[in-house]
Amino acid sequence: MSHELRTPLNSIIGFTGILLRGLAGPLNPEQLKQLGMAKNSAQHLLALINDVLDITKIEAGEFEIFKNKYDFRKSVEFIAESLNPLAQKKGLAMLFNVDPAITDVYSDKRRIEQILINLINNGIKFTDKGYVKLDCTLIGNDIEMKVTDSGIGIAPADIEHIFKPFRQIDTGISRLHEGTGLGLSICKALAKKLGGEIMVESNKNIGSKFIVTLPTGLKD
Amino acid sequence: MHYKILIIEDNEQNLYLAKFLLESYGHVVLTALTGIEGIKLAESSQPDFILLDIQLPEVNGYEILEKCKKNKQLFNTPIIVVTSYAMAGDRERCMSAGANGYIEKPINPDTFMQQIEEFLLN
Ligand SMILES: Nc1ncnc2c1ncn2[C@@H]1O[C@H](COP(=O)(O)OP(=O)(O)OP(=O)(O)O)[C@@H](O)[C@H]1O
Ligand SMILES: [Mg+2]
Repeated sequence: MSHELRTPLNSIIGFTGILLRGLAGPLNPEQLKQLGMAKNSAQHLLALINDVLDITKIEAGEFEIFKNKYDFRKSVEFIAESLNPLAQKKGLAMLFNVDPAITDVYSDKRRIEQILINLINNGIKFTDKGYVKLDCTLIGNDIEMKVTDSGIGIAPADIEHIFKPFRQIDTGISRLHEGTGLGLSICKALAKKLGGEIMVESNKNIGSKFIVTLPTGLKD
Repeated sequence: MHYKILIIEDNEQNLYLAKFLLESYGHVVLTALTGIEGIKLAESSQPDFILLDIQLPEVNGYEILEKCKKNKQLFNTPIIVVTSYAMAGDRERCMSAGANGYIEKPINPDTFMQQIEEFLLN
């Protein structure tokens, strides 16, 4: 199914991209603006499709993990680079800390990046002032990755729901935030697949902390 | 640097897209709608590299990749897979079958050529 859903998007995203770059001729400012909006929406649709495909595979038990040895610090640097602009736009501080004891990891790089990007994205999305930070510490043979924010927080009664697919907390405020409510359920399933877990601590109006614990995959 | 590039892709819109994009950077682009046709064209025209789709009619991209790697005239020609087939493990499968790179569709016109050049350098 993934092929069928993504092929038409290739031409939508590709041609809007070509037009926006002016490769098919110059555009006036209004045309640029409208095409830019079309491209953003197409990109958003792609993100939704990717999430729905992931959750479908997870639920069907068809999900596979591909492990490789990789440089964990470098991967966090890549994440920081790609998410910094988003935080800057909202005037939030972004902090990244990786324990110097962490070097290589033997795991599924893409999936670990997906978990961290989802959590940090949430932190940015649900925080209006202050910070979002990622702290990674080595504990025995596990890496603990903590994503902390100074955002709107989650009420105790809502916490049990946030990991369920398509669940978003209806706070009136969160309705302002776009998304499908699939991010956390994917993160939880991925963490489990990778032999770890994910936990949350949160205080309403103070902030949230998501803690992911995953094995480094390296025995010593 | 201007390349001679062969694109093997069965979706005509996607083919037009990649061709237009690469030509607008001054590259010479040859196209084939099936893998077998692509191999013939590659043998006769010796492109600098091949962009290969995986989901192709009749003979799929994996098989084409293997055929090229066994072909005396083509085993040295870099092949970059460009596919929306993105299932877990596709990248690994392509790379171990001898691909020089793997780009997931939808392609990003802003970075497509850069991605290709990085793969060619490695
Ligand atoms: N850091 C956070 N602070 C406050 N609330 C949060 C935070 N992270 C998640 N939530 C709540 O949990 C809900 C589910 O999160 P999840 O990531 O699954 O979905 P989403 O971010 O709304 O959409 P998607 O991730 O699919 O784009 C959110 O809608 C929000 O109500
Ligand atoms: Mg989310």
